[in-house]
Amino acid sequence: MTQEDGVIPLRIQDIGVRYPGRREPSLQAVSISVAAGERVGVAGRTGAGKSTLALAAAGFIPRVVRARLEGGVAIEGIDTAAAAPGELLGRVGIVFATPANQLSASKLSVREELAFGLENLAVPRSEMDPRIDATLARLAIGHLADREPFALSGGEQQRVAIASIVAMGTDVLVLDEPTAQLDPAGTTSVADLLDELARDGASILCVEHDPAVLGGMDRCLVLDRGRQVASGIPGAALVEAAEALDLTPPTLVLLAAAAGIDLAKAFDEEAIAAGLQARGGAAPSVVAAPPNTTRAALAWAPPRERAPVRVAVEDLVHRYPTGIEAVRGVSLSIEPGESVAILGQNGSGKTTLVKHLNGLLRPAEGRVLLDGAPTEGRSIADLAGTIGFVFQNPDEQLFERSVEREVAFGPRNLGIAACEISTLVANSLAAVGLTEERATNPYDLDLSRRKLVALAGVLAMNPAVLVLDEPTTGQDADGIAQVGLVIDAMRAAGRSVIAITHDMEFAASRFVRIVVMREGTIVADGPPATVFAPSNRELLASTGLTPPPAARIAARLRLGAVPLDAAGLLAALRS
Amino acid sequence: MSATTGYFVSGSSWLHRRHPLTKLLAVAFILLAAFLLPPVVLPILAVAIVAAIWSAGLLRPALHAMRIPAFLLLSILIVNSLFFPGATDKLMSVGPLSVSREGLTFGLISAGRILLAFLASMTLLFTTLADDALEALIARGASHRIAFVVLSAVQMVPRMQARAGAILEAQQARGLSLEGSLLRRIRALVPLIGPVMLGSLVDVRERTFALEARGFGARPGRTAYRVVADPPIDRWLRLLLVVGCVAVVIVAISGVLR
Amino acid sequence: MNVDWLQVCAEGQTTPCVAPVQVAYLIALLVGVVLFALVARRSRDLTTGTLVLMGVAIAINIAVGSITVLLRLPIYLDSIGTVLVGALAGPWAGALTGILANLIWSILPIPGGGGPTIAFYAPVAGVIGLMAGFWASRGVFQFRADDARVGGFLSLAAGIVAAGLAFLVVQIVIGIPDISAADPATALDNQGRFVLIAIACVVIGAVVAWVTARTLFAFHSDDPRIRSYLVAATSIAAFAIVFALFRLLFSPKGYFSGVTGVKADGTPDGFLGSANLTSLALPDPVGLIAGLVLAGVVGYLVWTWARRGDNARLFPVWIGGATTGLIAAAISAPISAGVFGGVTGAGTDALVALFRTLGLGVFQSAFAQGLTSDPLDKTISYTVVFAILGALPITVRTMYSRGEATVAE
Repeated sequence: MTQEDGVIPLRIQDIGVRYPGRREPSLQAVSISVAAGERVGVAGRTGAGKSTLALAAAGFIPRVVRARLEGGVAIEGIDTAAAAPGELLGRVGIVFATPANQLSASKLSVREELAFGLENLAVPRSEMDPRIDATLARLAIGHLADREPFALSGGEQQRVAIASIVAMGTDVLVLDEPTAQLDPAGTTSVADLLDELARDGASILCVEHDPAVLGGMDRCLVLDRGRQVASGIPGAALVEAAEALDLTPPTLVLLAAAAGIDLAKAFDEEAIAAGLQARGGAAPSVVAAPPNTTRAALAWAPPRERAPVRVAVEDLVHRYPTGIEAVRGVSLSIEPGESVAILGQNGSGKTTLVKHLNGLLRPAEGRVLLDGAPTEGRSIADLAGTIGFVFQNPDEQLFERSVEREVAFGPRNLGIAACEISTLVANSLAAVGLTEERATNPYDLDLSRRKLVALAGVLAMNPAVLVLDEPTTGQDADGIAQVGLVIDAMRAAGRSVIAITHDMEFAASRFVRIVVMREGTIVADGPPATVFAPSNRELLASTGLTPPPAARIAARLRLGAVPLDAAGLLAALRS
Repeated sequence: MSATTGYFVSGSSWLHRRHPLTKLLAVAFILLAAFLLPPVVLPILAVAIVAAIWSAGLLRPALHAMRIPAFLLLSILIVNSLFFPGATDKLMSVGPLSVSREGLTFGLISAGRILLAFLASMTLLFTTLADDALEALIARGASHRIAFVVLSAVQMVPRMQARAGAILEAQQARGLSLEGSLLRRIRALVPLIGPVMLGSLVDVRERTFALEARGFGARPGRTAYRVVADPPIDRWLRLLLVVGCVAVVIVAISGVLR
Repeated sequence: MNVDWLQVCAEGQTTPCVAPVQVAYLIALLVGVVLFALVARRSRDLTTGTLVLMGVAIAINIAVGSITVLLRLPIYLDSIGTVLVGALAGPWAGALTGILANLIWSILPIPGGGGPTIAFYAPVAGVIGLMAGFWASRGVFQFRADDARVGGFLSLAAGIVAAGLAFLVVQIVIGIPDISAADPATALDNQGRFVLIAIACVVIGAVVAWVTARTLFAFHSDDPRIRSYLVAATSIAAFAIVFALFRLLFSPKGYFSGVTGVKADGTPDGFLGSANLTSLALPDPVGLIAGLVLAGVVGYLVWTWARRGDNARLFPVWIGGATTGLIAAAISAPISAGVFGGVTGAGTDALVALFRTLGLGVFQSAFAQGLTSDPLDKTISYTVVFAILGALPITVRTMYSRGEATVAE
């Protein structure tokens, strides 16, 4: 679909949105235009109005979502509020966060999935196959053509969802946190796809948390409480917004500012390294406050005392019914007060390993010991009082009508007295910063805060060991910081924390010990500075991992030290 | 047999090659004949269906599928043989219970009808993809929106099953015990079933948006990607089957009025 | 042609009957086709959101329904999704959901799937969806405990109770005529008298409902009586439900009296661990008194519970469920009797066997089983839907125009 000269593909002019029944507007006076071939990122805190902006940009407000729209959204010159039904089809498309929800859920192959939109557009049958083939080739996903959509990974599903929009001839693409629920490999594949589309002339508006994806955008818009607070090249906009909103910019942006280089290259590691090299020890020590100190440490302590518990795994082997060994003889011992991050690719056996700790899985060989006593014969519900396990997807456990009742579910199962439960609930809601939402329906909170509700639900059980499965996936920066504070507070109280994560910065900054797994065995185990040392680079690469940004830059600069955040790198640079 | 394609057995037998509408009509004919005509026809129909299944090489999956209605058929036979109202002709007695001839006859006839209905539908399901059947119906004027509901519901069931497994783990990790008294187990159902339903209902919003973005809401007409083969012989077969169905109904009604 | 309305002949049945069974099949088929055609016509007005919701609701029906079949419970719970769609998206969407759910369930290879036989109940499921939409638009899911409109539900309940009492009085004073008498002429004669008695009872119920609606239960808004009446009605309903359930399970001829731990063919029954539960059946009058005492205690507990907050608003929900169940039983009985001879391979078969030993015919035992299972089943389903609607986030509820109109905040 070629566009006429002078018509801006997506033009949002001074819009305001107010949902029925809400006093405050969700968006106020936001304007942005996206030119052909341009990628614009949208960032901001939870509740900033990012999703509302995405819905408005795709023409869903007021046509599909009932809300009052002021100002104008024009797609290829057509006003979305006045457009006839179907007129915007093939002009604008939108993709949301949950991969499985982006597909029609009614087709048996990716090829038919791509045909779904064409069928609705009444494209003649003879034109369908050429268009589908062209799209598959253009997005380099031809190898998926005959797969079942439901059997694909999250990253593949998101790419198929984008492809099915592109196949309709759509040139304006709106994405609402497309990588929030993907692993690093999936995130990279989606980000590369967006770059490719923009090179072909598509206009892209993308709501995003991940600094790596935001950094790849041409421009960035930062929202707060429905208002536009910064806009410009991503690096500059994030620095500007950080000052205005008391946020921490991504590490690379901090370093670029310290290096004094053009913020247009704020995500270019080579340029940052060169800049820092040039400045040498003259780089300022503190650019903006590093993440660990922006927030006061959590003034929180578990309301109940409990004896510390030492967790040990001895020669653990787990076999699936198919005979495949997911965990091949792992031994691990975790002391009270220790925090351990387990890293590794999908399928490396991380989740399988930790599911043995609370008895969700039983070892085929070897055993699990809590304070020297084997867990064999103890039920999951029994172990739940000692090992608190927080799952990745909160929607697979939330069911109560209020946050408060939801958090009380765990302690009630443990048979704790009612008066004490209310203390525990209040205490753990305070720990995750959700005290004000205690009467809210959990599903009326966004994913980021639903994850915190699930975390609070486990904290309220007062566990000796906290196990977190992907605590940062789907979390915004505030949420990640909050989880980090909870981990610190748990450690301070003599409890141990074990987390599976793909987020290297999080692992490096919040954990004293890193365990790297590959194909069911532990291949590295030690403090972050050791595991992320340049000498380990090949080992890490073999597991699909990269060190955190500060360590990467340090490696480029051939510094002896292994800094884990911006402040550490700058300090190392000065000495 | 995968979760999303149901009972479909891929192949290219003569039954696979028939147009879905032909097969649907054949099932309708068999159902009408089995339930409306006198029980004498049951063995004839059974032989015909089994021969068709055998010739299409589907005997193994058909036998395998028999475990589904086995309990129902057994139940029909036993309850009717043992407890039949007004039965007088006792064949044999075991303690206080006795098998009556009337009950056994009635049970055999009922079970035979159910068995025929089952075999006919299974043969259709073995040889026809739901997608093809619905596309064929849409081409005959059925609503593609209802067809969508059917297909999405079929894919939803395995998704929910997978989800239920994850929820079971998550709630047990929160201390939910599945052992204990019956009352305790019944109360454990709420935290297990609750998230299955709520989670899928919350997904409705995003899935609706995704469909709208791909033009499902707009309806300027629709074209179909899936091509369903319709050999010429199928037209004659369908005509024959329609005539057969009408004949069965006429025979049945005339039997009633006589 | 003399169509016997109550005693449809089953094939080979020896008790006298008049109309051949084929009529029932044809009528069921006709009703199903007409209903489906009507509903399909209406489906063009359904929004994308409704269609997606229907897919999920069908999956919920099938998932929960197959669990109850697997556990062989004497209820079904296969219409939760149907009622949910009826409440959120209206009667036609509800009806379509019910019909499609039964058709799809019958073709899915899942444990607990009854195979193609479930499709025969599609018309029943359709009517359940229609009823749910009707009751939702009457506000059963929406009332607060002090809403003046609940008066209508109290009157309806009073009418049903009055009709039931009248029937009981007739039974005690003059006795119910033997409708399955051996002599065809006597049977037909008795059936005529039975119809008259039934009509008289229904008329009495209707009069009571009409009168109470204009006198006792004619509330003006902010009437303090509303809450206290509703609380009383809720506890009485709880008393009745518990007593009925207790009798159903524990009476000398109850559900447990049939659970011997061995199947009818002599093999051990795996469910319930092959336990012989017949000892749980209590003899009268001990069982009667125990049932009354238990129901009384529960009634008292519910009374204290209903007085707190807005809990008494469950009463209209229960009325909606119970009436839906009565109608569902009336429609499904001929299907059960005609197609399956009353035996469906589910847990309800124990009830069918029970009623047959009590001397009821094929059709009557199917109907009696329906009358026992359905109102209870639909009352539970409506309560579950009420709970789901309360837990549903605003963002989803506001997607449906009826979501706000039929659901209480």
